[in-house]
Amino acid sequence: MFRCRLNFRVLGVASLLVALSFSVAVRADDAPVATVAPAAVEPLSVQIDRLIAAKLPDYDKAAAPVTSDLEFFRRVSLDLTGSIPTAKQAREFLADPAPDKRAKLIDQMLASPEFARQLARVLDVMLMQRRPQQNVPIADWKAFLYQACLENRPWDQLVAEILSADGIDPETRAASRFYLDRGGEVNLITADIGRIFMGVNLECAQCHNHPHVEEWKQSHYYGISAFLVRSSLFNDKGKQVFQELAVGEVKFESVFDSRDKISKGPQTTLPRVFDGMLEFDPKFDFGEEYARAPAKDVRPIPNFSRRAQLADAIIAPTNKQFRRNIANRLWATVMGRGLVHPLESDHSENLASHPELLDSLAENIAARKYDMRAFLKDLLLTKTYQRSSLRTPEQQATPAPADATFAVAIMRPMSAEQLAWSLMQATGISEIYRVGQGANFTEAKLYAQLAGVEQTYVNLFGGEPGKPGKDFEATVEQTLYLSNNEAVLKWLPPAGKNLCQRLLDLPPTDFQAMTEDLYLSCLTRLPTTEEVQELAAYMADRAETRSVAYQELIWALVTSAEFRFNH
Amino acid sequence: MYCSYACNSNEHAISRRSFLKGVTAGAAGAAGFGGMVGSAGAQALATTQKHVVVFYLAGGVSQLETWDPKPGVETGGPFDKIQTSVPGIEISELLPLTAQQMHHLALIRSVNHKEGDHGKGDYIMQTGMRQAPGFEYPYLGSAMAKQLSPPDSPLPGYIHVAGGGSKAEAAFLGAKYAPLSLNDGNPPANLSRYATLTEQSDAKRREFRNKLSQRFIAGRRQAETEVYNQSYDQAMKLMSKKEIFDFNRMTDLDLERYGKHDFGRHCLMARNLIESGVTFVKVSHSNYDSHSENFNFHIEQLGEFDKPFSAFVADMAARSMLDNVLIIVMSEFGRTPNINARVGRDHWGTAWSICLGGAGIKKGVAVGKTNDKGTAVIDREVDGGHLFHTYYSAVGLDSTKSFFDEGRPVAKADPKTSAITEILA
Repeated sequence: MFRCRLNFRVLGVASLLVALSFSVAVRADDAPVATVAPAAVEPLSVQIDRLIAAKLPDYDKAAAPVTSDLEFFRRVSLDLTGSIPTAKQAREFLADPAPDKRAKLIDQMLASPEFARQLARVLDVMLMQRRPQQNVPIADWKAFLYQACLENRPWDQLVAEILSADGIDPETRAASRFYLDRGGEVNLITADIGRIFMGVNLECAQCHNHPHVEEWKQSHYYGISAFLVRSSLFNDKGKQVFQELAVGEVKFESVFDSRDKISKGPQTTLPRVFDGMLEFDPKFDFGEEYARAPAKDVRPIPNFSRRAQLADAIIAPTNKQFRRNIANRLWATVMGRGLVHPLESDHSENLASHPELLDSLAENIAARKYDMRAFLKDLLLTKTYQRSSLRTPEQQATPAPADATFAVAIMRPMSAEQLAWSLMQATGISEIYRVGQGANFTEAKLYAQLAGVEQTYVNLFGGEPGKPGKDFEATVEQTLYLSNNEAVLKWLPPAGKNLCQRLLDLPPTDFQAMTEDLYLSCLTRLPTTEEVQELAAYMADRAETRSVAYQELIWALVTSAEFRFNH
Repeated sequence: MYCSYACNSNEHAISRRSFLKGVTAGAAGAAGFGGMVGSAGAQALATTQKHVVVFYLAGGVSQLETWDPKPGVETGGPFDKIQTSVPGIEISELLPLTAQQMHHLALIRSVNHKEGDHGKGDYIMQTGMRQAPGFEYPYLGSAMAKQLSPPDSPLPGYIHVAGGGSKAEAAFLGAKYAPLSLNDGNPPANLSRYATLTEQSDAKRREFRNKLSQRFIAGRRQAETEVYNQSYDQAMKLMSKKEIFDFNRMTDLDLERYGKHDFGRHCLMARNLIESGVTFVKVSHSNYDSHSENFNFHIEQLGEFDKPFSAFVADMAARSMLDNVLIIVMSEFGRTPNINARVGRDHWGTAWSICLGGAGIKKGVAVGKTNDKGTAVIDREVDGGHLFHTYYSAVGLDSTKSFFDEGRPVAKADPKTSAITEILA
């Protein structure tokens, strides 16, 4: 048996240099290497702000001011823990005099189990795109992602696990959901590998070279497809797994060529990720191809698995799309828009808004071994992330800079999960559950208790299956649910130490305290003087119906646009 | 400029420059305005709003027992054909009341989409396209809801009366255009104010919500926040119209005319919904999948279908609504001419019929022919693409235009086919 790999493209000198300088930067960051002068190394967050500013003339004038502490706290809580904070947490953060309290908060949140849960949700939507359960329980899949995020498993390793799982070994079966809940459908999996792991949408290339993108060829699509073409679902005593044969080649011809009758007949290709290595099959003597030959109701085991080569080929350092894609996707997750946008259109006709920055981020995340937590930390430390979504009155007199300048924070609708948990946080429901667990409180227990609520919101507010990037659509159905459904309205009346009860516990005429608690709980900000007066006016003739009036106000706040968006 | 791509690729032969423009336009659309922003075109339509009603005979109705009878031949079965209100057009004796409405209707007797699988046939008939991995086309209901609904309508654009239907039908058009299902005749969920909440309390909290939201979006206005706020206005308007979903509002006289069984009530609901301004209504009638006892099956099923369907057509005509309401009677496919050993007919996509009527459709015509035994189309063969071009033309829409899915153009109807002009008024 012999194998041979041909490297068709050598890393350019320039990108090699970038890669080197970044591995130095990371080592300097980690401190033990003292041979490099630290002053020469620009921290990533500083570099990001520099490159973002450099792209827009008059950036300093156009850029929105840095957020207030509470605006920042709300945003970072949603991004890192999946929920708005409580009023108590908001007060504590506000009162903290430490000049580096934002960085400390980021560190603290990144280390929390809530962060693992939130990153797992982000990865779930990215990888499965709200697809319904087919063969692998969604709960197992989510638990697998959660565990990976708790351990801060590197992205390349996680991807390798997912692309290597065939559902046979119970230990790794959860990871096989990527394949098995796409029904083992090779074309769908091929297209999704391109989109999700490499930021390229090769759907067109299934039938012909891409009509608008010079570098996307039909052979690229089939190079990836060739890793999978021998695989299909196999019913292993009632359990679907991914089986593989020892034979089978991809065949393709351009539909244009067939139409114009200039086709030279179907072509084939060996497995290959873009212009990376061609993966040659080892030669076997006739009859030696299988460790277990195919037969009726017998799952074949080939002596050589093409699919087993896929993970390495995708995460290989030669595949620059792999690192560009994850850098761009994590950027988009916290910044509201990819440097390459749409996320799956990283090609020569759709350049990144900040090409040098994306190159740099891609090399950085690879150099720090795909540590998503550390990478996100640097993004959150930037001024770019911490800008307000509201421009100053003077700035508002001029046209707003485009989203792609990142000069003003981009508002993002809450995800279905963020909405569910934030509603429970604001109304004080999750606090009741937390208190209920007493000293033995854990995030995992709370999640288990309230996962059903989360699922309800995903069903109603989540995006369409298989449709990335469309996770927000305001429908009347959703609005009717928030307006009239018992499940929402039962969170409002006084119970335990929920928000309504806390308001009732305050002196009835202490409108300042009342408005503060209401606004901090629901909107994570202090009310303006005008808003305190407004609330006093609202309560003017409600002495007899205080509780009802508070419920009206809480509902109004949590259904307001200010609540619905991460701003 | 269209190319007939054999793979139905949704990338068209447009220049790179216009492709990139497409990206921008699509992105703005994706930002959430959907059909809510009134384009000139949409406003022009509002005055003479077109509607579509689909009667979906699930499982596959037999063309030989309905629109294309062949009595006296070995494939023809036991039933005779009868005269209709249009001289020269004869249909099965199982549809005596529908026959009296034929002067409002038209037949296509030459459908061949070559598909004998329920799911795949259904997909072709409801999207006009063959299923292809990686491609998702919107269903007719979602497509019409998006293109025909007035921009400020509080009503859902696409209602499926009998229930069923999935969010996925809207594909990239978005959840706003997904079917709203009235399961078992129930109105949509959460349409009534919660019992313990008074009207006054509800009004107060909404007013406060609106004030807060307006204050927030001043200076931060963007499509998504607008759409979010509008959804509250829409919800209020829809709540105020909830009586249109009330089955109890039906009069005894109407129930007598339509039939008190589920399908009769569903057809009556369809009439009420169309009269209230809903753009697209689908009524399903189940089940025609008669692999055995085809003839007894069809006596029973069509006996239930004939009365409410003919009453619906008559009511549309009596209310002068036929010019604005396109009526389609379809299945996922027809049934084999061959009668099997269990006196059944099997799946058959090769030579079968559908019935149209109303908006944009010629009255009292039959287009296309099958051979004597009904085993093949011998004149004017059409498939799902032709049908979609025809539906679009009938309601005054341009079927050669594209939708945009995140900037990528997606043909509204298969560019390799065109409308059946002989049936268009």
